[in-house]
Amino acid sequence: MMAALVQVEDISKTFGGVRALDRVTFEVCSGEWIAIMGPSGSGKTTLINILGGLDRPTSGRAIVDGLNVGTLGERELTRYRAEKIGFIFQHFYLVPYLSAVENVMLAQYFHSIADEAEAAGSLARVGLGDRLHHLPSQLSGGEQQRVALARALINHPKLILADEPTGNLDEANEQIVLEILRELHRSGHTILLVTHSGEIGRMADRRIELAHGRLMHIVANVT
Amino acid sequence: MFWRILWRLLYASRGRLALAVFAVASGAAVSAALLNLDLDATDKLTREFRVLGANVVISAAQNGDAAATLDTEEMNQIEQLHLPEVVAATPYLYLPAQAEAVGNHAAVIVAGTSLDEAARMNSWWKVEGDWVSARDNRSDCMIGEQAASRLGLIPGQSVKIHYAGREATLRVAGIVTAGSSEDSQMFIGLPLAQALAGLEARASLIQVMARGSAPEIEDVIRRLSIALPGLQVRPLRQLAEAEGRLLERIRGLLFGTVLLILVLTSLGVLAAMAGLALERRRDVGLMKALGGSVRKIMRFFLAEATAIGFAGGIFGFIAGMALSEWIGERVFSVSIAPRLVVLPATLALMVLVSLAGALPLRLLGRVRPSDILRGE
Repeated sequence: MMAALVQVEDISKTFGGVRALDRVTFEVCSGEWIAIMGPSGSGKTTLINILGGLDRPTSGRAIVDGLNVGTLGERELTRYRAEKIGFIFQHFYLVPYLSAVENVMLAQYFHSIADEAEAAGSLARVGLGDRLHHLPSQLSGGEQQRVALARALINHPKLILADEPTGNLDEANEQIVLEILRELHRSGHTILLVTHSGEIGRMADRRIELAHGRLMHIVANVT
Repeated sequence: MFWRILWRLLYASRGRLALAVFAVASGAAVSAALLNLDLDATDKLTREFRVLGANVVISAAQNGDAAATLDTEEMNQIEQLHLPEVVAATPYLYLPAQAEAVGNHAAVIVAGTSLDEAARMNSWWKVEGDWVSARDNRSDCMIGEQAASRLGLIPGQSVKIHYAGREATLRVAGIVTAGSSEDSQMFIGLPLAQALAGLEARASLIQVMARGSAPEIEDVIRRLSIALPGLQVRPLRQLAEAEGRLLERIRGLLFGTVLLILVLTSLGVLAAMAGLALERRRDVGLMKALGGSVRKIMRFFLAEATAIGFAGGIFGFIAGMALSEWIGERVFSVSIAPRLVVLPATLALMVLVSLAGALPLRLLGRVRPSDILRGE
């Protein structure tokens, strides 16, 4: 049994009077690929945001790589996001006035020191070696998501949090992105991926199914 | 990477930033022009004021005798001092005389002087007709406009003056408007006045026009006092104090205007930056999600504001120097030289104004990345 990289213990989160997460508990081992599934409003993104240090739980604990994320101060949370987390969003969220390589370098800059050669290498690994100096507006959706993947990986994060990373892609680009994720998984990265797609869910090691903020099932996929 | 991102930020928002730079440049132009005027025009106006007639008077020690006169030989003493600050010096002999012309009679003060020197000393007088340029002229005179009006005189007409049983008939060469007591006086050559009074080589006083700052003029007075021990040498305080008050008011007006311009410029930048802050919320939320600290992110925006202040300051300085030259010529009738010391002062003021105007960008520090990523 591998050590747990993520421990979610009895986590709840309320927004105003709405309970987005209700006493959710699970663990993720290092190197695991977890698919978080459920209908809209089930708390998937809230869970990802708490694990990524973008939101704090109302109660319970979220421990990632030994750090209780909910108790970290603002400065520690900033370091935590820069050093331990790689985010991939459904809407890509690239900085529109920075080129592909600069978007990757931005993550390096916030982490430590920007290294253009390393950033270019990271883009080449996702098949964008010839698109380094293109602005996001000059790239297709699939290419933008691959830039976001390169950016998420550049600082060698402990945990990759992907919130519906193929939600805005056509089938061809979806396959490219999924292949990259598979490759990351094979190379030992820990991935938590939010998806509505049962097909993508079945690619993961386990599926965590949420409904109305509650953990309904944890299903291990048989490979 | 910092400079690379900064350049991209500036380039991406060039339209809005150009507006901010324009606002800063406008404020900088007016501020630089007024600062330059303050430095150069007040200095020049001080000199110009010095040109407005005499500012030092030498008279006989009166000892109770109001009509005491001095020897015009004292003029040689003054010349021998070779004081570089002394622009002109001329003796005056004043006679309370009666004048008669075209059937009118009036009492006038006749001032006998070296008319050529008086012309140099009072170049700002308005003259209708001609100056009398020859020092020993005994046939022409100048007359103040009030005296001319009382006697009904115009240039070219004759006037007869009576003093102590003697008389002289003179042609009016020009009518003087000085805006002061000279307007009711009549000006004749000194030798003729001395002949009328029977006071050979005597004068009531010597008027001296000295150029320089107040301490320099004080020094001239001190040196004249030493060289002319039997005489009183005194400054025309009234004029000097009026100059000082006027210059203080001009300076107050200049600084008040600069302050107002700085506030208005800051508001202009504030308006441009408020729009920019709204545009940048998403980027800031994303940067925070990627692990960017508030300090690191805000550094971009503060550098952006500094760049706006710097660019606006330089453009404004160039425009301001041209503006100050124009104002100098049109308003103060002096030619204004650009002072380089105004450049760092303008740049510092504009950077401060831009940073003050960039306050809305500080609100970006409070952006919560989860709100942005949720699409709020």
